[in-house]
Formats: sequence, structure tokens, C-alpha cells
Amino acid sequence: MVTSTSAKKHLKTTLLVPELRKKYYAQTLADSQAGKKVAWCSNNIPSEILEAMNITTVYLENYATVCASKRLSSAFCRAGERAGFSQDVCGYARILMGYILGGDDLPEAPYGGLAKPDFLIVNSYSCDSRMGWFTTMARTLDLPLYVLDSPYQPVGGCTDLDNVAYTESQLRGLIAFLEEQTGTKLDPARLRQRIELAAKANEIQVEIYEMRKHVPSPMSAGDAYTVVWPGMYLIGTKECDQFYEQLRAEVRERIASNVGIVPEEKFRLLWSGLPFWYNMALMNYFEEKGGVVAIENAFFRHLPGLPQQDEDPVRDMALRSTMRRGYAGSIGERTDLTVEIAREYSVDGVILSYNPSCRLFYILQPALKNALDRAGIPTLALECDMADERTYSEGQVKTRLDAFIERLLAR
Amino acid sequence: MGHRVLTEIQHYGFGWVLDLRKDGYNIDTLQRASAAPPWLPVERSALYVAGIDIGSASSKALILEQDRVLAHALMPTGAESAASAQRVMEIALRQAGLGLNDMSYIISTGYGRIIVPFADEEVTELSCHARGAHQLFPAVRTVLDMGGQDCKAIRCDERGRLGDFAMNDKCAAGTGRFLELMADVLQIPLNQIGALSLEATGEVRISNTCAVFAKSEVAALVRQGRDRREILAGLHEAIAARVHTLLRKVGVEPDFVIAGGIGKNIGVVQRLEARVGLPALVPPEPQIVGALGAALFAADRVAEGAVRRQRQPIA
Repeated sequence: MVTSTSAKKHLKTTLLVPELRKKYYAQTLADSQAGKKVAWCSNNIPSEILEAMNITTVYLENYATVCASKRLSSAFCRAGERAGFSQDVCGYARILMGYILGGDDLPEAPYGGLAKPDFLIVNSYSCDSRMGWFTTMARTLDLPLYVLDSPYQPVGGCTDLDNVAYTESQLRGLIAFLEEQTGTKLDPARLRQRIELAAKANEIQVEIYEMRKHVPSPMSAGDAYTVVWPGMYLIGTKECDQFYEQLRAEVRERIASNVGIVPEEKFRLLWSGLPFWYNMALMNYFEEKGGVVAIENAFFRHLPGLPQQDEDPVRDMALRSTMRRGYAGSIGERTDLTVEIAREYSVDGVILSYNPSCRLFYILQPALKNALDRAGIPTLALECDMADERTYSEGQVKTRLDAFIERLLAR
Repeated sequence: MGHRVLTEIQHYGFGWVLDLRKDGYNIDTLQRASAAPPWLPVERSALYVAGIDIGSASSKALILEQDRVLAHALMPTGAESAASAQRVMEIALRQAGLGLNDMSYIISTGYGRIIVPFADEEVTELSCHARGAHQLFPAVRTVLDMGGQDCKAIRCDERGRLGDFAMNDKCAAGTGRFLELMADVLQIPLNQIGALSLEATGEVRISNTCAVFAKSEVAALVRQGRDRREILAGLHEAIAARVHTLLRKVGVEPDFVIAGGIGKNIGVVQRLEARVGLPALVPPEPQIVGALGAALFAADRVAEGAVRRQRQPIA
């Protein structure tokens, strides 16, 4: 049983996100009404291209987290399971399949539901479950699907020209698909503009991550999991850049006046993996005990972007993304990166979030635990799904957290 | 007074055989010993402090007077955890000839730690087991606590401080409840199943460690006329295998201590020793290790200058 859901936010800028998100979803419905083409997308697709082509994007993983945060995930998951999807299948996928397949017993969908899609886009990057999920949706809804294939990418990026050429071909394939679906041509100048806007947002975000190394922590994961939203879903827009400028100013101000998340920071934590979207208040639970989740490794942006690599915007995107990548590396590289984050952000312990239905993060955690053990950094494993709240047991989680906090404070 | 308590405990089916390798231990001798147990050297100096451990199956209370255990009590938790907490505390206090107001500090632990109305502070059962086991066996580095619904593998350092730990998630396998269910299906008293399992000449393989499915599986084996001792051997092996996995998550280093009610089951203890490759140290009363740890933390707090939040008689 979850007793509370949303985290208490500490930054004023964070409080803007719910309004931005609400506006965004309302706009997608209005666009659909006005006859604009709507794409249902996975995370990690090159939004700049869709922005440049004036396509309305709906991000399904985000919608699943919205359902979870509004405590609707169990109802939608059950609807997905009724249709034959196992509880072991990605919680996000079950929620969306439940939403699509429906049922009389389903609660009202958040934000008045999703805009009806015209086509689907999925990126093979980082997660394999969503490939099966999107292909299943394409068949269920009888809609065209573009699979943007991402080759293996080491954490630090690579300069392998075959890799770049392949990435470029995938982007050009996507553009051709979108041009066919919409009947309009991509304007390279518009794309160039979106690329630069996205690059700027990235720069500011990297800067904010850098500032979060400060002790006491100016911004905790409770805020971070919310403020990541514009950077994932408004990427390539002026609104997005303005948001991060405002956030950066606030974080700077907090550091300058030495304002932390808790009055006296007794311990700092790293949250590894996805949070439990239906119970973000867990982040505040540490604060009651003098601790702060100073950093998280999901959505982590540590690499400054590269300057323009090529005149042609598509080739430029391929080059810049290939040479700068995050999660799609090997387990070893991802593990090393997290140990490095733990050290650089001076954390005393790491919460390993074992999300049973998230294959991307689940598989990483045991290797990560071993690496952190070797580095002498205490870890706590919590096994709860990121979206399906039926996997969460308040008493069990609190006992583990309390014991872990006792362990850290006794040191 | 003590005698009535014993009858109550036995009535609820808690008459476990304590440790078959130690001659002469049973509930009666333990209770007689509890006034001044020779096996529990406590070096700390305090007034009176109490530890209370509200587990899912049983509630335990223990009172320390400076360097010795004055009394301890154990009873089933039942549906009303708060009432059980008051009752078990009352029993321990009466044994000690004291009242609640004589306590300088009380720490609660166990899954029901938050509902103990007269406790001054809560400490998790993980820290308390590390602390309690360290008091009994100072060289301990690994504690396995097998309780009613929880099973915990706990590492601690040379000072008895909590290290890495792992707990069973969402599953009753390897817990007291599991064995209670199986003893019930086989119609064998709980305190006999461990010893009986060691008499088996063969072993039935139990494929389910889910308590509900294993119950059906065992019932089917009984219908097939399989030797109950062999079924028990299979059940104990399944538990040992599962618990061993939990232990390996945190790594096992000697000394290795087993606490909790299943510590009284020689069948599980011997199989675990074989798997782990280390002798297991089992306290004479493995169920009060958590309460002991809580009482020791309470003594620490008093030494640090903490005072009771409230002093009022038990309702």
C-alpha cells in the first residue's frame, strides 16, 4: 500500500513542470482535433526532427509515469494483463496496452486521454522490451511503425565511421517515413535551428548536474526526476531552454546562499535505476532523517555536447549523437560510470532500484552492486516496479530504508 | 507467574525444541534460567532498560539490569500487535518484579516496532540482530535471522554494527510460517519436524518453495504414501537452498550465527551448515536476539543521556 505519492519539491522552478506537462498534453489533443499528424513515440527518439516537421509527439513512457503518479497504474496494468501480457512485461507497456485495449472498469485516463495516433516511432536504443511493445501496438492499432535502430554505443561515444554512417541512414530513413506520412518535406534550416536549441538545453543541463556536486546538495532527486521532463519531451523548443535557464539560476542562487535540501546534511545518496513513480515521496523520507538523494544515474547528463560537426544537419546529428552517448554501452561501462558518479557526488550510499519489469536497469544492478562493494560504497537493493504499484510494500520498503539509514549513520 | 506464561506459550504451539545438540534444553529449563542466565554476559552498566521485538509471528520483550538480563518473555503476536506488545512487556516486567516506570529507556524493533505505544525509540530488527548476536558471540560477522515471515541475512563488523543485508522479498519460503504450514499438512508437531527430517534415509525433491503450492505438493506426496521423514527432508533442503542464496548475496564470513525461531529446527540448521561449510552458532534462545539488541541500544541511549519520553503505567 502506498500512503503518499508525490515528492515535496524544494525548487520553485520544479513547480512549473506540472503546468508545462498539462499544457503539453492539452496541446496534443488540440493539435489532433485540428488535423495535425500525431506520432506515438518511445523515449530517445530524435525529437528535433519531429519538431522541425511540426509533428505532434506523444511519449508513451512518460504517459505511463503520469498514470503511475496519479495512482492509476494498477488498474491499467490489470487491463493489460487481462489481454494476456504477463506481469513480467514492462510496466509501462502493460499500462499502455491496458489503456489501448480498455475496459468498463478503467478509471478516467489522465489529461483526458491521449491524442489518437497516426503512426508510431520506436528507438531500439537502450531497451529491448519497447521493441516488442511498439510492434505489438502497431499490429493492434493497424498503424505504420518506424523502428529507428541504434547500434551499440560505448558510454564515452565512438568515432567509428561505419557506426556514424549507419546512424545517419537510420535518421534519413525516419525523415523519409515522416515525409511520406505527412506529405511535407523537411526544411533543413528548421532542423538546424532545433538542433541548436536542443544543444543549448543540453549544455545548461550538464552545467546543473555539475553544480549538484556541491555539498550541501542544492537540488535532490525528488526535484531532478521532475525537472528532467522538459529536457526529454520539449527538446528543441525555446520553452525548454528558458526552463533550464531559470532552473540554473535558482540552483546557482541556492549554492551561493548555501541553502541545502535539509538543514544539516548527514548523508548523501545516489538512486540507481528508475524511481517508483507512484511513490516519489520516498525521496523526502530520507530528508526526515537528515539525508538527501543527491544524484540519480537514470537520465544522467555528464557530457557537454559537441560543436557543429557538419554543414548537413542530418549528418551533423548522426556525428554528434554517435560521439556522445549515455546508456547504450556495455554493462561494464555503465557500471564504471555509476561508481564514478558515486565518488564525484560524494555519496555515502547507493539505493539500487530493482525494477523487475525494467530489463534495461534490472540487469545492470547486480554488476553495479559488486562494483560498489569493491569501491567500499554501501548499497541497498529495493525490489519494486517503477510503474506497477502492486509490487510495492510500504512496511518492507521502510524497514529496509530504516536499516540502511541506521547503517550509514552508525559509520 | 512464570508457569502460567509457559502454558500459554506452549498452548500456541511455540514449544520448539531449543537445540537438540545441547542436552537438557527445553522451555522449562530456559525459563528457570531466565532469572539469571549464565549464558548471557552483558558488560554494560545501566539502570533498567528494555528491548521489545514485535515480530510477525511472536512478540518478545527483554529487560536488562546493568550487566545482566533480568527477564525475557515471548508470546504469539496475533492480530492485535499493540495489545501483544503491552502483554509481553507486562509478562517480562512481572518476571523481573518491576514496573514500566522503572525502565530508563525502551527501544522497539521488529515489523511492529511502530505500534509499541510505550517505546521511546525504534531501531530496525536488522541493526538489533547484529547488535544482539554480537553481544552473545563477539566474533560474529554473519547473522541469519529466520523469523515468522521474514528471513534476513545480515553482515556486521567487529563492533557489531550493521553492514550489508538481504531480506526475502514477497515470499514466505524459508520462514517460520512455511514450516508451520508444512507441519500442519503432515500432522507432525512443529518441534519435531527438524529432528525427524534427519532420520530420513532418502529425500523427496520439493520443487515449489511457494508456501501455497508447496502445501499442495506435500499433500499429494502424503497421498502417494511417501515417507513423511523423506518429505520433511525435502522441505528442509528446499528451505536451506533458498536461504543459502540469500546468504550468498551478502557473503558469509565466520562466525556464523543463526537467530529466530527456525534456529531451533536442527534439520534446517544442519543442512545450512553443510551448504555454507561453516558451523552455525545458535543461541540457547534464538528468538530473543532482536529484543536483546534493542535493549542494548536502549542502554547506549541512557549512557548518552537520553531520557524516557513518557512515564505512564501500561493501560
